[in-house]
Amino acid sequence: MTLETFSGTFGLWMGAALTLCIFSFLYKDNPFYRFAEHLFVGVSAGYWLVYNYWNIVKPNLIDPLREEQWQYLLPLVLGIFMLTRLFPNVGWLSRWAIAFMIGSGSGIMIITYLQSNFLEQIKSTLVPLDPTGQPWYVVVNNVILLVGVVSGLVYFFFSKAHTGVTGRIARIGVVFLMVSFGASFGYTVMARISLLIGRLYFLLHKCVGVI
Amino acid sequence: MGSVPVEARRSLVDRLKDIDRRVIFVFIAVAVIIPLVWPIGLSLKASPPARALFNEVESLPRGSIVLMAFDYDPATEIELGPMSLAFLKQCFRKGLKVVGLALWPQGAQLARTSFSEAAEGYDVRYGVDYVNLGFKAGGIVVIDSLGKNIRASFPVDVDGRPLSELPLMKSIRNFADIDFVMSLSAGDPGLPFWIMIAQGRYGRKVGGGCTAVSAPMLYPYFPNQLVGLLGGMKGAAEYELLVGEKGPATRGMDAQSIAHAAIVIFILIGNIFFFISRRRQKLMGART
Amino acid sequence: MSFAGARLLHISLCVLAGSLVLCGQALCQSAPPDTPPSPATDLVVKDTPDDDGGSVTLSWSLSADDKGGAKDVLSYEIRRSKSPDGPFTTIKKVLKGTSSTTDEKKVENNVDYYYQVVTKDASSETPSAVAGPVRAHVQWFNLGRLNTLLITILYTALLLYFISRAKKGEKLFVRRIAGLDALDEAVGCAPEMGKPALYVPGISTISDVATIASVNILSGVARTVADYDTRLIVPNFDPIVMTVAQEVVREGYMAAGKPEAYREEDVFYVTSSQFPFVAAVDGIMVRERPATNLFIGMFFAESLILAETGASTGAIQIAGTDAIAQLPFFIAACDYTLIGEELYAASAYLSRAPLLLGSLKGQDWMKMFLIGCIFIGLVTLNVGFAGFKSLFDLPLTIFR
Repeated sequence: MTLETFSGTFGLWMGAALTLCIFSFLYKDNPFYRFAEHLFVGVSAGYWLVYNYWNIVKPNLIDPLREEQWQYLLPLVLGIFMLTRLFPNVGWLSRWAIAFMIGSGSGIMIITYLQSNFLEQIKSTLVPLDPTGQPWYVVVNNVILLVGVVSGLVYFFFSKAHTGVTGRIARIGVVFLMVSFGASFGYTVMARISLLIGRLYFLLHKCVGVI
Repeated sequence: MGSVPVEARRSLVDRLKDIDRRVIFVFIAVAVIIPLVWPIGLSLKASPPARALFNEVESLPRGSIVLMAFDYDPATEIELGPMSLAFLKQCFRKGLKVVGLALWPQGAQLARTSFSEAAEGYDVRYGVDYVNLGFKAGGIVVIDSLGKNIRASFPVDVDGRPLSELPLMKSIRNFADIDFVMSLSAGDPGLPFWIMIAQGRYGRKVGGGCTAVSAPMLYPYFPNQLVGLLGGMKGAAEYELLVGEKGPATRGMDAQSIAHAAIVIFILIGNIFFFISRRRQKLMGART
Repeated sequence: MSFAGARLLHISLCVLAGSLVLCGQALCQSAPPDTPPSPATDLVVKDTPDDDGGSVTLSWSLSADDKGGAKDVLSYEIRRSKSPDGPFTTIKKVLKGTSSTTDEKKVENNVDYYYQVVTKDASSETPSAVAGPVRAHVQWFNLGRLNTLLITILYTALLLYFISRAKKGEKLFVRRIAGLDALDEAVGCAPEMGKPALYVPGISTISDVATIASVNILSGVARTVADYDTRLIVPNFDPIVMTVAQEVVREGYMAAGKPEAYREEDVFYVTSSQFPFVAAVDGIMVRERPATNLFIGMFFAESLILAETGASTGAIQIAGTDAIAQLPFFIAACDYTLIGEELYAASAYLSRAPLLLGSLKGQDWMKMFLIGCIFIGLVTLNVGFAGFKSLFDLPLTIFR
């Protein structure tokens, strides 16, 4: 057996064993599960440390500085400021770095958000309600969309008590919210089942070989 | 049943209501394993968002440039990996050129696997028909920089080769040279940022695939801001169906459907016993 | 002889004679390959609007042989020169059917350029008339974003106006949030059962708005708990949040007149790793069996694990988060959930902080503006005037 084959086979069985260790938690907490959990935490911490250095710090800071692009000294200083949080007496310096990040992040995000998630979404809500020239179910869909958006907004209106007409509209809003949360929950269940399928497929196909 | 004493019936209801969750785990495991081993072949139909994406890609002329973002990691590979394979096979069959990149660190390696798997059976060459630019940290800022100059963010490809050495990249400078953007997204940074920048700011057509968890949040963008959307493993299976390449997602659909059916049955049973027990409690309250 | 037969004979003749002349356009349905295609016409070149320079936009009418005529056009080549007499160099190639493009290839600002669009088929090409001169310029203001600017100004003005009113001490009305009643009831349960209350302020940093809101709510909870002489356990994910939480809980006990009942060891730091933190909190829930669990702040994938373990211990649970993806889990596993903005509103209601109250009122008025826009837009759209909808298009279409 060559080293490559051995490492492939070892990796495969290691993966299978760790999968079963994690699954064992479904019965109850046990040492196998805890071993797999701690191994996962440790390995991922080490992996990310190395990955972040080679893929983020080196290409985005060290390489440009080696090429004498001195403007990169500014992010270096701000990065060091971030680390000052470890020392309480100079920890306030980290706020400068955080302020820079929040400021520049907001500047980029606010305008793009307004455009994509505000203007475009309002535009998408302006839908034709006239039944002539379009199928009835499209009109019904459009009405549902409109009622959902407006009643949802009214539910999150805090300057008026939820009584009378406002209260009734807000209750409709809650129904829409719950339906959307239900759909979201359903999709999440679907995602989790997909993950289970992925793991079981790995076990049954690659390890046991029954499929 | 009519002769069973009320007390005994109540205990049966309560016993079933408080059923050990491990019993449910076993049922779900069986519901997934059996269809995986013995597939049933339940029918599948493509949803409008998946069909819209497929049609849009089909309408692209031969030689068009597709920018494909692998914004996911191994944790969501089971959902997004099959999408990437089906999408790439459609692109290669249509003679479209694909530029791959990743906003997630591990996406670059997953892109490498997808490209090599999808390229099998097609006359495509690295550097000419497809390239993998690798990973770049920065999320939305990286996308914005692609609008101005791709080389500023990606001076070299995933293996460190300068873009000037790759024939495909010679004619591609920024978003203006991209005909279609596809993002396979597991979260942040991902599809919403591509919609905001590539579609919103640079007017590119954007399509996407996402995990089932994030699908409800992304559907509102379809069809005005997103030309099509694939949600979770089901979306991947739909795309495999449209492309005519049955793959891992199609294989998993039977298991997915049976598991869903099992969950629905459990929810129904749970609710029935909940209401029965509540009614009995009310009746007992009324008697005392 | 039938038409098909005549056509077959004709094709055979073509092949035999090897003469393209015999393949007349009427019968063979294709132009002779050496006939150059008709040129693209009406070429217009202009500086790309609303950009930072370095770009020229070209548009033209398609060649008569593209989609019509002989239909043998394959592509258009864009050529550029600094002089109307050439020499022209090829900048880019676009596929047939394309009638506009932009040239962004090393275009210098404020330099005259001349352009030509060359129509190409398989073997020949026809250049269009030369268009130009055109100069690329930097625009100081992107008119396409005018609407975005106006809305930003409006929103900022509303926020500043209401914050200033709140700062002047004016009483701004904010309705009582239903979840706060549920919160009071839940906290009240703990002393009745002689058990502690657990408060988890999320797993984000103090700069997160949800954490700030959570700390404000914690302040009110601490006061109520102190009133009832109950123990309040606050495990923390972030050390800075822990420091703030300790201050807030201590103040709560002081405000209730029971500073001696405050136990600093009950507001403690656990770990900043997500799942180990969850494991620890789960352990507290199982061992200490709090009567009330409050999960308020920013949560991620751990939300369901926390809420489900709490539910299995039989505690009354109230959650509040603005993490949309986690809300369904809290709603399913908790007795009451503060949804999204309700979290901020509850925090503003309890703290009465001018910044929070003013922001909340500003957002409310923005929502009214939004509903108004939707109604006006719908009315105008459905009576046949689509101009209002196009107002929202303006920043999008012009920018593109």
